[in-house]
Amino acid sequence: MIMDPWRPFLEVMRDPLQWARSWKHMTGGKVIGHLLPDVPEEMIHAAGALPLALEGAAVSVSQAQASLPAYTCSHAMGLMEMGLTGQLDFLDGLVIPYVCDTTRNLYHTWSHRFPETRHEFLRLPKRLRHPGARVYLRNELERFGRYLGNITGCFPTAERLSSSLDLYRKSRSRLEEAYSMHRKNPSVWTWERVHMLMASAMKTPREEHLSWMQELPWEGDKDEKSQRPVPVYVRGKIWDPPEITKMLDELGLVVVGDETVCGYRSIASHYQEGDPLDSIVNRLISLPLYPGYHDEPRGVVENFLDRVKQSGARGVIFLNPKFCEAAGFDLPDLQRGLEKEEIPSLVLETSTRGVSLAQIQVRLEAFGEMIGEDLL
Amino acid sequence: MNPISSLRDLKQINIDYYTAAHTARQNGKFIAYVNAFTPVELLYAMDFIPIYPENHAVILGARRLSEEVAPAAEKLGYSMDLCSYARCDLGSILTGKSPTFGLPKPDLLLVSNSQCSTLTKWFEVLSRMYGAPMVLIDVPHSGNGEKDPQAELYVRGQLEELQGILEHITGRKLEGDRLRESIRLSRQASELWTRILLCGSQRPSPITVFDQFIAMAPIVAQRGTQVAVQFYQRLLEELEERVIRGVGALSNERFRLFWDNLPIWPELRRLSEFLDQRGAALVTSLYTWAWATLSVGEEDPFQDWAEQYLYTANLHLQRRIQTYVEYARQYELDGFLYHSNRSCKMVSQDIPELRRAVAEKTGIPGVILEADHNDPRLYSIESIESQIQSFLEMLDSRKRKAG
Ligand code: SF4
Ligand code: SF4
Repeated sequence: MIMDPWRPFLEVMRDPLQWARSWKHMTGGKVIGHLLPDVPEEMIHAAGALPLALEGAAVSVSQAQASLPAYTCSHAMGLMEMGLTGQLDFLDGLVIPYVCDTTRNLYHTWSHRFPETRHEFLRLPKRLRHPGARVYLRNELERFGRYLGNITGCFPTAERLSSSLDLYRKSRSRLEEAYSMHRKNPSVWTWERVHMLMASAMKTPREEHLSWMQELPWEGDKDEKSQRPVPVYVRGKIWDPPEITKMLDELGLVVVGDETVCGYRSIASHYQEGDPLDSIVNRLISLPLYPGYHDEPRGVVENFLDRVKQSGARGVIFLNPKFCEAAGFDLPDLQRGLEKEEIPSLVLETSTRGVSLAQIQVRLEAFGEMIGEDLL
Repeated sequence: MNPISSLRDLKQINIDYYTAAHTARQNGKFIAYVNAFTPVELLYAMDFIPIYPENHAVILGARRLSEEVAPAAEKLGYSMDLCSYARCDLGSILTGKSPTFGLPKPDLLLVSNSQCSTLTKWFEVLSRMYGAPMVLIDVPHSGNGEKDPQAELYVRGQLEELQGILEHITGRKLEGDRLRESIRLSRQASELWTRILLCGSQRPSPITVFDQFIAMAPIVAQRGTQVAVQFYQRLLEELEERVIRGVGALSNERFRLFWDNLPIWPELRRLSEFLDQRGAALVTSLYTWAWATLSVGEEDPFQDWAEQYLYTANLHLQRRIQTYVEYARQYELDGFLYHSNRSCKMVSQDIPELRRAVAEKTGIPGVILEADHNDPRLYSIESIESQIQSFLEMLDSRKRKAG
């Protein structure tokens, strides 16, 4: 019997926490969870642990509202829920990055609720393009390395980091290929599948993930079956609710560029040669900035428009997390910029709580029809 | 209620401040929009008038204009989930409605993110709107307040760079004497403000938090000037005299309460009367204390500012718990009113844990009031009042039981 090459990824994504728990049980390895974005997975790998990206999306909340107010984004609320319901008790460490006031408060609330866990706050600077931020970030990563080493007993030395970077380089360029396969052959390399590849890469041992990827149908023919695809660009944090990925496929919307933290942002940008820690710093600085960072204000809009135009997208979908100030303040100027360029956009305020999938479907459908009109 | 007469001076102080801002250019001055944790002493010494868009939003909220202006920002796409200060201020720019005739255009937007991350994004919008340069003083959040020498270097570097930017905009060099003078005045104002807040620990308290909210405008916007020093000297004298004569802000002080978070500006008068009628005095708060700790020394102000933004302004749960436990003792509190302010996530998201921890450690109960500091569409004042009423009844029965 020929094994379905997509199956290992599906198995991880069916229940990533359970998968990691079993992995730990079988291998005796250490697992360090981290909240997205921008926790350097390579460093966790170099410290000998499995980096497990945690997304609060798609977690149904029953207990967390006793610890965090209802006006908290689902990414943060979901992490708290997972903690309170014991789903994260197998973790050897937990890293919460400084992204916004919400993750800052989340870290302290977590520390208060779970004083016994080995959690750390990654103090990411916000003015990333400032030369001082580069120095600060490098030092912060060194501090982060010590935290990791103290948990695993194996410090991410330059040598270990170099070999992790080699692996991540290979894995990321493979994922970039997968990304472009989605454009070429969207009925086989659906967005649901490509997204699954990227997301599962952040939840499984990278070596294994890379070897699973070798088995995928890279040589398949150019897609003949699908109708003419409608290229779209997506800006947002996470795919929340996750069903959106499938909806895009069904509607013939092809993602030609995205800025989500478990999408292109997790695979973009190659490392430079030289000191491995500097390479990680450079990679973080050169990524399209997540809204939680600060950049020259006009550049924020202009650079975004450039990225959209370069992608060839006919429309932009914003997946704006509900209660997210960072994304919320950027939105109107980005939309106005798109209007000037005559690029239509659709805003979906996303959250697992209280959104209707049927409504999202209807809006996506209407949007797809509108931007795809003259393609038919 | 026994009104404090020196608070009447504020009207003229405000008029003078906004007039000076509107006529800045004619007088060779410059305008910088700022937030709480920015070096205003340096700005004053460099002929800048610091303007707080947050304060402007307060005026809109307190005059109950939020509902007239905020929808204009929402129509542009700013979600109602965003801080209502920002929505009101942006809406005021769009509609032209403002009791201060708007704010003068900025020469610079200066913000530090130790207060919150929202301001960075809000100022980015303003910077694009006005085409004005923006400087973020990025203050890494130092976890639990432990020393972070690398962060000190990073923050200090940005502050030193700021001096050059100000010199470039004004075409003038910083004069050491002027900086020392504004630092001296700022420290004096800060010390006076601290003593004013401490008056609240007297029984009966000669001042309520409502008075403090009204009185805080100069410590926020005019720290580093003679105006602030003179105003707080007069206010302190009046309060000290009240203490000697045993005059309280309320005629009949029965409960001593803490107010957490920002005020509900549109309801300031209504809530103040509601509490007054029930003998409930708000004797201290987190918000007004923030400005008591902002003074720096003359010897190395850049280092002092850096440390202050990193460590003193570093608000977080553990620190809040410790502080509130201390206030409970110092102010002999009977209860805590926690304003869960959906606009200000920074100061609100840890309230559920905070309330639990403070109640456990002190035995003093607290009630969480769901509201918003500037947008009446997002809360019901009637249900807030009924919650406070039940809370006071509970405090009353505790008092009775305790004999
Ligand atoms: S940046 Fe937005 S989505 Fe991300 S944690 Fe903060 S509030 Fe939530
Ligand atoms: S979020 Fe809070 S601290 Fe920030 S501007 Fe709004 S009210 Fe002020």
